[in-house]
Amino acid sequence: MSDLVLAPLSATAPTKSRWRVVRAVAAKEWLELFRDRRLVWLCAFVVALMLAALAFGYVENARVLRERDAAAQADRELWTGQSAKNPHAAAHFGQYAFKPLSPLALADPGVDAYVGSAVWLEAHKQNEIQFKQARDGGVGARLGSLSLAFILQTIAPLIVILMGFASFSGERESGTLKQLLSVGARPRDILAGKAMALIGAIFALLAPAFVGAALALVFFVDRERLSLADQFIRLGALGAAHAAYLAGFAFLALGVSALARNSRAALVTLLAFWLVNSFLAPRLATDAARALTPTPSWQAFRAGIAQDKAKTFGHDESHPAFIAFRDETLKKYGVSRIEDLPVSFRGLALRKDDEAGYAIFDRHFGALQSAFDRQDALRAAPGFLFPLLALRPISMAFSGVDSRSQFDFATAAEAHRRDIQNQVSDNLIHFAHDNSYVAGPELWRKIASFAYRAPGAGFALGYSALAIVGLLGWLALACAFALFAARRLRPV
Amino acid sequence: MSSGFSSAFFAGVRFEARMMRRDGAIWFALIALAGVALFALAMGAARVAAQQAAIAGARADETQRLTNLQKMLAQLQQGDAQGKPAQEPPPYRDPRNAAFMGGGPAAAVAALAPAPLALVATGQSDLLPPAVRVTTGSKDSFLFADEIDNPANLMSGATDLAFVIVFVYPLVILAMAFNLLAGEREQGTLAMNLASARRPSAALAGKLAARVAAPITGTLLAAAAGVWIFAGWERLATPGFAALAVAVLLYGLFWAALAAAVDGLGRSSAFNALALIGAWVAITMILPAAINSLAAFAHPAPSRIDMVLAARAASTDADKARDASLSRYADEHGGGGKPTGGPQEMTLRRLATQEAAFQRVEAIIAEHDAQLARQREMADRLGYLSPAYLTYSTLADIAGSGEARYRAFLDRIRAFHVDWRDFFLSRAKAGASLTAQDYAAMPKFTQADEELVGPAPAGLGGPLIGVALPMLILAALALRGYRRAALKRRQ
Repeated sequence: MSDLVLAPLSATAPTKSRWRVVRAVAAKEWLELFRDRRLVWLCAFVVALMLAALAFGYVENARVLRERDAAAQADRELWTGQSAKNPHAAAHFGQYAFKPLSPLALADPGVDAYVGSAVWLEAHKQNEIQFKQARDGGVGARLGSLSLAFILQTIAPLIVILMGFASFSGERESGTLKQLLSVGARPRDILAGKAMALIGAIFALLAPAFVGAALALVFFVDRERLSLADQFIRLGALGAAHAAYLAGFAFLALGVSALARNSRAALVTLLAFWLVNSFLAPRLATDAARALTPTPSWQAFRAGIAQDKAKTFGHDESHPAFIAFRDETLKKYGVSRIEDLPVSFRGLALRKDDEAGYAIFDRHFGALQSAFDRQDALRAAPGFLFPLLALRPISMAFSGVDSRSQFDFATAAEAHRRDIQNQVSDNLIHFAHDNSYVAGPELWRKIASFAYRAPGAGFALGYSALAIVGLLGWLALACAFALFAARRLRPV
Repeated sequence: MSSGFSSAFFAGVRFEARMMRRDGAIWFALIALAGVALFALAMGAARVAAQQAAIAGARADETQRLTNLQKMLAQLQQGDAQGKPAQEPPPYRDPRNAAFMGGGPAAAVAALAPAPLALVATGQSDLLPPAVRVTTGSKDSFLFADEIDNPANLMSGATDLAFVIVFVYPLVILAMAFNLLAGEREQGTLAMNLASARRPSAALAGKLAARVAAPITGTLLAAAAGVWIFAGWERLATPGFAALAVAVLLYGLFWAALAAAVDGLGRSSAFNALALIGAWVAITMILPAAINSLAAFAHPAPSRIDMVLAARAASTDADKARDASLSRYADEHGGGGKPTGGPQEMTLRRLATQEAAFQRVEAIIAEHDAQLARQREMADRLGYLSPAYLTYSTLADIAGSGEARYRAFLDRIRAFHVDWRDFFLSRAKAGASLTAQDYAAMPKFTQADEELVGPAPAGLGGPLIGVALPMLILAALALRGYRRAALKRRQ
């Protein structure tokens, strides 16, 4: 503390004097952090790693986006290039819906690799999204890949711990804490100064990464499809969430350092917490969520749908529901034979069966997503104690790569499938006077291709409330803990 | 080993063991490590049970489907025999229709039962379904079906023994060994301890051995106890378990040697702690992540969508070809409109589209596999930079949830798919109806015997050497450091 010049303060020091202490402590801490070459190099390495991760993310996302755009175009050509056929046969051929990539996936790939990229929109059936990229990655890929989120969520807290573990204990060991307290500096002001320095360092660490991400967005975002402003709002939310996460670590490091017997004990305690937060808690919370809210196996899920679908008639003309619908239709039109109907009964039956199927799919897929939501909520619940559990869902939601965004895409794709079915059935109803009816390319062209518009940042906010509360709880708890520790600060 | 060296070594072991017995923190760390390992194995056992249930469910469904088809076939045949033919079912429900039955209703279940030590590592088993319904269609229609799971669960990863070994176990070893020299030097007891030993470096090696033997032995015992409790004692007497023990031992020794080498540099405890934490982060997290990113960058995974689009293009082309052929026939024979929608036409059209899609999809899958093989080959080669990466892959192979076993499974599906298609399509092309005898003679996918009993894991030599070699180099460096410390005492 030789470079800190302070006059003794009275117990009721005016706010100005206290602010002077805070600033002086912050300036000294900042200087010490800057003078520690090891830390500077470490931070430089982490910043380089973050920028490299962003570059990898950018290149990979650009490639995937190109592939999906080309695929969507190719699938459109296949759809419109169908030969003349019965419209229902065309509905069986169906279309593919390709999940557009969220631009911020370049910062946080989230669950993208685990959800698939395309869904087949065929007649009678709502399909799951297929082709999970993670399946092709091999075992080693489960150890993760470089992404900005991975570095910010796992490596950056470690840097904050290394910057802060000796804040108080180091000064106590070197005797400068005693000197500082003896000139009348209040522990709370010292804490505030040290916290300011650490949080400043966190901002210095985050700034290059987020400036890099912002630049990447400017180049990456297709402004015809997406709002750049919305992407910047999302990026801002990501920055705020990561800053809160890391600031909590700064307060925790300061609190532990103030209470610990020595720097070694502080480091061991903080490292143990970091390990639990980064590695054990996500896995244990996932195991608990799985055990408490089990999801059905694929077999059971599909059997449940099949059981309900068996109550509808499909193409089975001997099904009691078919006979009832036929009788009802004949009565409605006041005729006694199908042939006398002014419209195609086949078309009407298909539409009726499809509508019955929609309700069944909504129920089953909705229940499955609810189970996922409950699992996600359970996983995020301890987020105020283990903040990665709160931060991850926020980060994924604002990056547009969480399971809710996925569900939104799946719901939009299913709505498009239903639109195809409805248009096809309507065509049959009005034009298919016999079984040899075929429609041509004009109908295929009339049925639009799938165009998905991802929801805005408000959607992410709506589904992240619990996690945001958890993250703020973490920050408040860590701050309260640091204040508590500062009150019990021992000079020796 | 000379008697002087060994007596000093064992004296060091005994002395350190006595010290450790009185240290509550060490007991806590060891018990916590063993507890986490046992918990991970319990989770692994639950996961294996879920996989077995999924396979049993798929097989029960297969049996049910085939029973229903055979029952329906018998009713149709009985009606024909009695001269009272039943109402003709549509071709896609007709149990006699070979083209449609092999394509779905009679689909065969190809299952990969969990290997004997599957509870050790999740590997890719949560992403690749344990049972696949093989049809006469092209592979894109059945090979990429997924088991249901919350994607966030998959992303978080599972608590399995492989995770505990790769991430947690090294930290306990590092905590035990990071300040053997530095700690004593800082406490002022190093000079006294070295002075009292006849062979100081041997005594230091003995002390290190005692410190690292505790977590290594504890983990091995916990793994053995967990496998015994959750999978049965007979699994302990398998080559797989021996390979697991060797992998755990070598990986533990690698971290012990690294800790000793850093400690041998003669720096402070704080320096050692920071350097070793940095090494742990680099070896277990940054390097594997960088390896995966580099391999994906150099050899990007092919888009599976290409395969689907090719199958669809083949199907529309075949459709058009069929239309053209029917039009030609109608023109040449003076027929009216083309015969559309009839059961026979529906069957022939299906055969044509399936055949066209099959050929294109096979070619694309072969291309994709080659590209993925290049990516994985590069990742595997770079994996030698990180013992954590090697150990994780090794444990997955031992558990049968790695690439080797799944690749073998896919090869057998490929062969079975050919048999399955031949069986149904030869009958469909010949216009033959399926009979009760055909149902009894349908090809069955059976798991190879060696997979059921648990083969000796192959291909582990390279990765194990990849861990052992840096361990030996680090051990040599550590020994040099210890000798230097002993020499300083003499000076």
